[in-house]
Amino acid sequence: MEAILGVTSALAAPFDLMTMLAEVVNAAKQVLDADRGSVWLYDPNADELVLEVATGIRPVRVRAGTGLAGTCARERKIINVPDCYADPRFDPAVDKASGYRTRCMLTLPLVDHKDVLVGVMQVLNKAGGVFDDDDEVLATALAAQCAVALQRVRMTEALIEGEKMQQELQVARTVQMSTFPATMPSVPGYDAYGTSRPAELTGGDTFDLSLCGQGLVAVLGDATGHGIGPALSVTQMQAMLRMAFRLGASLETALIQVNNQLAETLADDRFITAFVGILDPVAHRMRFHSAGQGPILHFQAATGACTRYKPTSFPLGAMQLTSLRPAVDVDLQPGDILMLISDGVYEYRDAKDEQFGEERVEEIVRAHHSASMAELASRLLESVQAFANGAPQEDDITLVLVKRSAATSAHRTFKRSFDSLQGIFDFTSEVFARESVDRGLLAAVDFTLEELFTNMVKYSTTSDAAVRVDIATIDRGVEVTLTDYDVEPFDVTQAPDADITLPIEKRKPGGLGLHLIRRLVDSVAYEYSKEERRSRITFRKTSAEAPKAAAANAGGEDARD
Amino acid sequence: MLAIDYGADDVIVIAGRLDSAQCPAAQSFLDKVQGTVTLDCSKLEYISSAGLGVLLKTQKRLIASAGKLRLSGVSSHLRDIFVYSGFDQIFEIEPAR
Repeated sequence: MEAILGVTSALAAPFDLMTMLAEVVNAAKQVLDADRGSVWLYDPNADELVLEVATGIRPVRVRAGTGLAGTCARERKIINVPDCYADPRFDPAVDKASGYRTRCMLTLPLVDHKDVLVGVMQVLNKAGGVFDDDDEVLATALAAQCAVALQRVRMTEALIEGEKMQQELQVARTVQMSTFPATMPSVPGYDAYGTSRPAELTGGDTFDLSLCGQGLVAVLGDATGHGIGPALSVTQMQAMLRMAFRLGASLETALIQVNNQLAETLADDRFITAFVGILDPVAHRMRFHSAGQGPILHFQAATGACTRYKPTSFPLGAMQLTSLRPAVDVDLQPGDILMLISDGVYEYRDAKDEQFGEERVEEIVRAHHSASMAELASRLLESVQAFANGAPQEDDITLVLVKRSAATSAHRTFKRSFDSLQGIFDFTSEVFARESVDRGLLAAVDFTLEELFTNMVKYSTTSDAAVRVDIATIDRGVEVTLTDYDVEPFDVTQAPDADITLPIEKRKPGGLGLHLIRRLVDSVAYEYSKEERRSRITFRKTSAEAPKAAAANAGGEDARD
Repeated sequence: MLAIDYGADDVIVIAGRLDSAQCPAAQSFLDKVQGTVTLDCSKLEYISSAGLGVLLKTQKRLIASAGKLRLSGVSSHLRDIFVYSGFDQIFEIEPAR
């Protein structure tokens, strides 16, 4: 028993498995006066015993239940064999390989204090005889000590292994996150925002918002499953798409080539659903293909309604593609939002197993559509979290939101002088460019502004107040307002000579100009405030149908009187 | 739970939930199927994306040897999933009667 106490302290020290195994064998040899010893570790997943022979050599494996060691593992009882070659359970193969001759052998189970089988210990060839009853008692006591010590080391090693794995995953996460746009691309007249929240360290979702020669590329991808495997697949897809567009590929070519590449390499039961679109920020048109990614929501600011688009194709990588259905065109009006949202949002389940669903998404966009897209994304994520009420996130969540800026208005004031005209033209030109207004409308707008402004200069001689010009973008065009302070009323929409309150002048107020204006623009309205002595003229100009037709019309009306 | 087996007229009947946990069982059954076969989905309550993967793998294998997997008795709920994932373009889908 003293010998056992001696080895107990030796077993307390080692922290790595190989040292511990050597210590255990040494202890057994010492206590039992045996010539050799070995320790088999139990692998519960395979239900096998594993003998670590030496580093660099493949370990020997034995099924539980076979041979002396296997029988011991199964029955968890000590087996004392005085003459091994007389026992049918003994396998002489090991002796044959090593040239050693096993005479007698004690085989005992290593069971820890929680009754978990850790392994089996074998000691061979007692010096000068066979193992007796006393040896069995000693060995059993020793085995208990060894089992606990071994289990401690195994758990420590598993912990260290887990820690290493965690660090590797953290690196993978950093790499994946770095493929997402670091800053959102800036597109005049647009607000684009994307974000991704993986359910685990790495995610099976990806997104992209990047500028290429054809416009703004918007991508949302979702590989089957989540975790490191799908993360590698979607990251590969995102990189291939980005490169395809950088090399000038069309939407169709990019989609077909990336699909076919993925179909070659992805496992047969794997695929990636993906939205791939290119926004032309001047024509305000998003052309897209959706490979199994849906629904795509188009929020329309004018009505508050959402249109849902279905996929144009099956998921990427599912099969080879030779042709595609036509891409879908979505025309974005001011304030409209195209929303790409992964099913991690739609299918988020609360504790009662109810899904977040599309209706909730639509409600949120209706309530917050005038906010920035970064803010709308936060609202959506907050709502999902509130809905979940503690239910865990099981799938990756990714949002890509592209909004055409709502009707915005810009204003500037101009000195009541003909010298101000150039400044007015610069102003309209600037607003048209910034808000991507159809430039075909510019000539008619400038003509009308010039006519109305010069009228104000000519006929309101008593006022020194500046004239204010407001330009607001509306659906397919602009609304321009001129505000004239400290003046008598003069309604341009009426026949000018009908207004007798005007200061007397010899010349008629540009009769032909006003006549033309009424035909050039869509509408002209006049409003006068007596209290403020303020005139306000508002006119609208929009493209009739397609922007091209409108441009042709405006060109024809370019002549000035 | 999921049950998959041959029914009448060599039609394969799949019943229950085809989620990630049930995929290996469904896959090993479908791996043995040959030629052109019909999968009766009228008792299929749910399918996850992993389940779609099982059907896809089977379809690819069958098409390679000039066969195919046909889906019948597809409920409107399941149909939505097939349509929203673009799988209606890979499988012949017969709606539920």
